[in-house]
Amino acid sequence: MKKILIVDDEESIRFLYSEELEEDGFSVEVAENGEEALEKVPTFKPDLITLDIKMPGMDGLETLKRIRELDRKLPIIMCSAYGEYKQDLTTWASDAYIVKCADLTELKTTIRKLLGLL
Amino acid sequence: MSKHPDAYQLLTKIIHLSTSPLPIKNKLDQMLETINEALEADQTLLLRRENIVENGLLWRLALQKKPLWIEEESSLPKGVVDAKEKEFLRPPFACLPLYQNDTFQGTLYIGFPRNRTLSPQEMDLLVLITKEMAGAIELSHLQQKVGQTSSELTALHEMGKVATSTLKLEELLESIVKTGLKILKAKGGVLRIEDKTTKELKVQWSFGDYYHHPLDEKIAKRVFMTQTPFLLNHSGKDNPILSILCVPLRSKEGILGTLAFYDKETDPSKFDEGDFQLLLTMANQMSFAIENALTHYETSQLAWENEKRVRELTILWELSKALLTTINFDHIIEMTLTAITIGAGLGFNRAMLFMVNEKNRSLEGTMAVGPDNAEEAGRIWRYLSQQKGTLSDLVGQIHLPPEKDSTLNTIVRGIEIPLELEDCILSKAVLEGRPLNIQMPHSEEARIQSRCERGCHLGSEVGCYVGEQLGRDHKVYSFATVPLWGKGKVIGVILVDNLYNQNPITDEDIQILTMFSTQAGLAIENAILYRNLEDVHQRLKETQTFLVHQEKMAALGELSSTVAHEIRNPLVSIGGFARRLYRSIPEEAPEKRYTQTIMIEVSRLERILSDLLDYTRKESLTYGEVDLREILEESFSMASEKLSSGEIEFTKDYSEHLPKVMGDRRQLIQVFSNLFNNACEAMKGKGRFSLRVLPVVKNGSIFVRVEMEDTGSGIDPENLHNIFNPFYSTKESGLGLGLPFVYKIIASHRGQIEVDNRPGEGVTFIITLPATQEGEKK
Repeated sequence: MKKILIVDDEESIRFLYSEELEEDGFSVEVAENGEEALEKVPTFKPDLITLDIKMPGMDGLETLKRIRELDRKLPIIMCSAYGEYKQDLTTWASDAYIVKCADLTELKTTIRKLLGLL
Repeated sequence: MSKHPDAYQLLTKIIHLSTSPLPIKNKLDQMLETINEALEADQTLLLRRENIVENGLLWRLALQKKPLWIEEESSLPKGVVDAKEKEFLRPPFACLPLYQNDTFQGTLYIGFPRNRTLSPQEMDLLVLITKEMAGAIELSHLQQKVGQTSSELTALHEMGKVATSTLKLEELLESIVKTGLKILKAKGGVLRIEDKTTKELKVQWSFGDYYHHPLDEKIAKRVFMTQTPFLLNHSGKDNPILSILCVPLRSKEGILGTLAFYDKETDPSKFDEGDFQLLLTMANQMSFAIENALTHYETSQLAWENEKRVRELTILWELSKALLTTINFDHIIEMTLTAITIGAGLGFNRAMLFMVNEKNRSLEGTMAVGPDNAEEAGRIWRYLSQQKGTLSDLVGQIHLPPEKDSTLNTIVRGIEIPLELEDCILSKAVLEGRPLNIQMPHSEEARIQSRCERGCHLGSEVGCYVGEQLGRDHKVYSFATVPLWGKGKVIGVILVDNLYNQNPITDEDIQILTMFSTQAGLAIENAILYRNLEDVHQRLKETQTFLVHQEKMAALGELSSTVAHEIRNPLVSIGGFARRLYRSIPEEAPEKRYTQTIMIEVSRLERILSDLLDYTRKESLTYGEVDLREILEESFSMASEKLSSGEIEFTKDYSEHLPKVMGDRRQLIQVFSNLFNNACEAMKGKGRFSLRVLPVVKNGSIFVRVEMEDTGSGIDPENLHNIFNPFYSTKESGLGLGLPFVYKIIASHRGQIEVDNRPGEGVTFIITLPATQEGEKK
């Protein structure tokens, strides 16, 4: 079973994502900020991370940088309400960039693609 | 008759005759008769001085002042009697010279019959008689002299009357010469006065053509220089005898001129000392009168000139006053030209203004005032003469509406002359900064051959453009140009002519026109500056409005971006859970539809958020050279679904050789598809949409202009000023970000967007984008 770490400061988003992804058969762990995410990566050893950008404390970009220092190959999907950084982040750091949307079809498709399930 | 006459009786008769009022000739005749009778003589004669032969017997006798008695032929002194004397000297006779105060007056000759002797008493009696006769002659001389002096005095008196009766120089000079002629009984007279400016003697009045004589002027000059009177009795080849009497006319300060008379009417025609003295007296008397008249003449000349100057200044003042009433450029130049042409103003027939265009180095026809033909000229002059009010009121109020579109105005507005065109009278006035007055000769041939100073063939077929355009065939075309001075530089030139009344343009006309144009030049320059100031002010206002708008947009963008992000997360969870619920609710349950509604509404909100974030996003534009035709075609294909769905008829008109524009392809496509969509929505599926694309030149740069015209409902005028404001939508759906987005993109492309709104009929959006440098070259 593939493991996914969801990093987001919004409780409702974490709840929605974990419900949806668990239902789709993934093992899900959540972190509500960058620091917590960095703690959980070594223990939980996720196969993929969804990472919010705007978070209190360590934000998504810093977290992305730190995780990359630990693991260069771990698939990371940036999930943000902002569309602006999409171009930059997809080219140099993350594997995908998704603008948050109530319809999770795009997110789910991207996860499957990155995990080689499609 | 007694042999011894009664001496007493004879003497009484002689004295009686001598004192009688008879003329001297009758007096003497009667005396001789009386003597002849009383002495019973054969012949009694009075030989006048001029009839006595020089060196003859009687001559010697006169010198000796002695009476002579000759009784016989033999007692005549030998060798003394002249042949002529022999004819009448027949002894016995007596000869008695007549003397009065040593003045010899003639000789009394009495011839007696033969054998008559003369007693000493009789001789004494004759001596007494001769004394009485001499007295009578002298008295008559004196009387004659008195009479002459009296007539001279009368003449002088007349002259004096003339001198005091008129201050008119010409009249005075005429009467001086005429009176002089009368007094001196001369055949001709010339009066000369020195011209104070040229210092030359000028003939002021003359009688007879003596002033043509070569001696006349020489003598006048000599008399003038030496201030000495001159009397000449000239014997030359051409004029055997010419008598000239010339005296200086002296004033208190110096010499005024000369007065000369020629040839006495009497024979001989020589002037004598008496004439000379008389003329001197006359000249002295008249000099004062002439001096006064000259002073009066100069004074009245000055007064007249002053009056004229005052009148001109009044006109200038009135006209300047009119110019001060406005700073509107068009009004000022119209007033300037009206002032030049109005009769009460400077009174030229036509006036044309050409302004200097510094950028193009050319002169551009700006405005012309003047009738197109003589009938119209008459009509306007009549109209103006009926107007009331001061000159400044007239100039300020009068607008001649037909003038604006007169043929002349149209011609002048079409004229553009390079300043470097050396031949042209207009550019010459600007380059040299001085007025030019061109007088054309009257004959047609002379006119064609004549040139202005720079070699411009005015009025000829090949010649000056201005002359060609403004002159008329077979008409004398004289005109003048005056530069229009601003502060330190020529800003234009005014051309005036008198085409209709053909009045010559004088240097004085030019002078007053120059004075006026100095005033007008400053007024016009001020108007130009003011107009520029207003332009700049307007642009500043526009820029300010634009900046305020931009700032509002930026603030709004930031705010909406923050709000949009904050809303997005809750929307994701609301929508996400709604989907979960939807999936878990059985088909038949009513909650299925409830959750579906939530899903749909969330989707709509998310779409709005995307739009909003699109608008507020700080776009990084990727500029490149783009072909608007391609872009429009692509935008069309994006909107084509809507365009082709209903009954919309659309036409496309691309002009050939469209220059490329610099722009962001993606954004421009968004702009045009947005506008196409709007048009379709406005027409509600039915109508006509036309697209026109063409290059235009504005302020010397090339732009591409895209016109999009629809036949929809147009825009409610109340909303017109808000259409480019975000969140302002009259549409049932949508956030109202379409047009603001279009505006933002076009502005960032340095383009312009204009709206031609026809409420109820449709609307035309016009977008103008700058062409690339490359395109501009083409």
